[in-house]
Amino acid sequence: MAVTLGTLLAILCVAVIAYPLFRKNRYRMVSESFVTREKLRAERLRIYRKINDLESDYTSGDLTEDDYQRQRDQLRHAAAQLLMQETGAGSARERDIEEEIAQLRNQSSESLEGGDTV
Amino acid sequence: MADLGLMSVLLGLALSAYAAIASVVGVKKRMPELLVSSSRSLHMTTLVTVVASLALITAFVQNDFSIKYVSDHSNTVMDRAFVWVAFYAGNQGSLLFILLVLAVASSLSVWLAPKRLARSMPWTIAILGATQFFYFFVLAFYASPFELNDVGPLDGRGINPLLTHPGMFSHPPLLMGGLITITIPFAFASGALIAGNYGDDWIDVARVTSIISWGVLGTGMLLGAWWAYTILGWGGYWAWDPIENVALMPWLVMTAFIHSIMVQKRRGMFRMWNIAMLNIGFVLAQLGMFINRGGPVVSVHSFASSTLGVIFLSFMMISLVFAFALFLWRMPELKSDRAMESFMSREASFLINNFLFLAVMAVTLWGVLFPLFSDLARDVSVSVSAPYFDRANGPILLGIVLMMGVGPLLPWRKSSARSLKQWFVWPTIIGIITIIVLVLLGVKRPVAILSFGVVAFVAAAILEEWWRGTVSRHRAGDNWALAWWRLVNGNRPRHGGYIVHISILMLGLGIIGTNFYQQRTDGALGLGESLVIDNYRVEYVSNGDASRSDRIAQWAEMSVFNIDRQDYIQEFEFAEAQGADGFTIKDSSLRPNDEYIGQIEPWHGFYLDFNMASVRSGIRSTIAEDLYVIPRDFLSDGRVSLAVSINPLAWWLWASGPFFVIGTMVALWPQPSVERRKMPTSSKEVGD
Repeated sequence: MAVTLGTLLAILCVAVIAYPLFRKNRYRMVSESFVTREKLRAERLRIYRKINDLESDYTSGDLTEDDYQRQRDQLRHAAAQLLMQETGAGSARERDIEEEIAQLRNQSSESLEGGDTV
Repeated sequence: MADLGLMSVLLGLALSAYAAIASVVGVKKRMPELLVSSSRSLHMTTLVTVVASLALITAFVQNDFSIKYVSDHSNTVMDRAFVWVAFYAGNQGSLLFILLVLAVASSLSVWLAPKRLARSMPWTIAILGATQFFYFFVLAFYASPFELNDVGPLDGRGINPLLTHPGMFSHPPLLMGGLITITIPFAFASGALIAGNYGDDWIDVARVTSIISWGVLGTGMLLGAWWAYTILGWGGYWAWDPIENVALMPWLVMTAFIHSIMVQKRRGMFRMWNIAMLNIGFVLAQLGMFINRGGPVVSVHSFASSTLGVIFLSFMMISLVFAFALFLWRMPELKSDRAMESFMSREASFLINNFLFLAVMAVTLWGVLFPLFSDLARDVSVSVSAPYFDRANGPILLGIVLMMGVGPLLPWRKSSARSLKQWFVWPTIIGIITIIVLVLLGVKRPVAILSFGVVAFVAAAILEEWWRGTVSRHRAGDNWALAWWRLVNGNRPRHGGYIVHISILMLGLGIIGTNFYQQRTDGALGLGESLVIDNYRVEYVSNGDASRSDRIAQWAEMSVFNIDRQDYIQEFEFAEAQGADGFTIKDSSLRPNDEYIGQIEPWHGFYLDFNMASVRSGIRSTIAEDLYVIPRDFLSDGRVSLAVSINPLAWWLWASGPFFVIGTMVALWPQPSVERRKMPTSSKEVGD
């Protein structure tokens, strides 16, 4: 009984790992553009969260008005650059960025940090 | 079951080797189908490890004593509930359990990893596969839990009596799980480095998986301390034993890492440092496996000594060389493009706290390794005991607690004199007031008083931060409760961290109380006699027999009274003149102000097959102190030999546990995604 189960387990494992080898046409290497796009998107999301961190720090009194404004402008500019690279648009779309930050804020009803989902 | 288990292990050996090799070949030869196949192979190792584990558990449930591991670690009178504990009671089962955790964690992390890591994923899979291969190899050829007895005995030896405790259901698995899962962030970071992905793409995965392994390891250590406190019968909870230390060291380094990774996330700094921290954490976890499983150092509670030392030492050395060769190779690419602007900044405070954690780790490592070096170099056996660790680590740990309060008060980048004054004034005043009040109350021991002051400072710093944030949101229209909730929910990693900091403060209170103010006395009591210590009178009322076929055991019933010390003033003066904290009295009549407050039933057993004693201490716990009664022995003349102590603030040690777990979970809880919209991707695209 145990040997039969073990044999069936071995057959199952071999079948599962061998299957892709017989379906070569279904797979292709990830493209450079895909990875770049994903990285840009991830970086942009990180910047949005930094902007929300900044708002959180400012609200808590950790930052002065000047520092807050200056850092927020820098981050928004960086996000605009990334969005421009992602979409290939000719100019930074500030309204899109504002919309996405607002969306982020609405989803949790407050400012956020992290975005550490695996 | 032995056949099924053995076949599963051998299958896992082949699958893990295939996963590692096929990943590397697939990425080098640009064969996407091979990469998919290798990824599937890694998932299949999880399946076969689960099957092997179930085979062993089934063998325990069925009392299959033809398997040596089963007959060595269970018997027919063993409570079935302890099958789970028996599974990892010895080396072979522990290794299978470790592999099970590694396999499940590997599968989950690879499955859930973000798409942007596609190019480094084959290297991550190769590292995970190679690590799993090592454990399958040891299980297959050196420590098989499925080895058969030449002649199957009618009954087994039974489980180690010290393991028959509720804490053992979770303490060893959490420790083993915490140590081995450090492999996951290490594999993601190393995979990214090999693939030439020098950015911050890996840090989210590394941070989450690191916090999980760190939280699991920390919880495991705390449960271990609780187990030691209630069952080992030496009256303490942490002995700086090598087995404890090898779990503590990677935990310290991972604590440093989960702080410094925040600097990389926020400011893009400490890239090299963070990789180095992960490397050290991973190598220390392997050192833990070597000390734990290889048995080179004598430990008071090593249940799994063996001759596997050379194998684990070899793997640790290979890990060390691999990790730091890779680090040195990629070091030029890891330099941060930003410099620290001021030492009065949060990132600087994180760096100082990292150095302090590393200092404690180095002191502890030296204490663990010194006996080994002494043995090798001079052929002299020595042991490094608690006073060395207490004296060397105590001041550094106090510094770490202080930085726990200072760091969050400092802003990122730099701070102004105004902001420093604004944030530090109240916590400092509260810390100083605490010290003054304690001195006025006549509390002795300056170091302890200073420590209480530091704890008060840090607590005030956290509360101040919560207060200001809550007030700010309350002014915006939220009610108080909602304002605080939104504050915490708005920045879960930060405020989850504060909850963990509170748990560390609670732990600190317990450590200060029990280390500086413990009172202790010994005595032997006949029936009707009492032992008096501090504000307690403990009267020996009756006893009972709890022997079974594998043990001789007795319990004592004891009444506990609160007393007025004035009623016993002469006895106390006499005891103090003798240098004792307490005394025994033969007279069973009570004094005027004696007040009955409850019953305790300490228990003492001796396990014949193991030639080992085990106790259950009688503990009456309050928020201020524990009355702690250890039954040393039941004497032939009918008396019971006791060690009784008052452990101030011990309750806070165990109360810190839930806060630690809750804080960790809050810090880990996923944030809502900013983009629900899925990017146009193909699920069939694999790593390059």
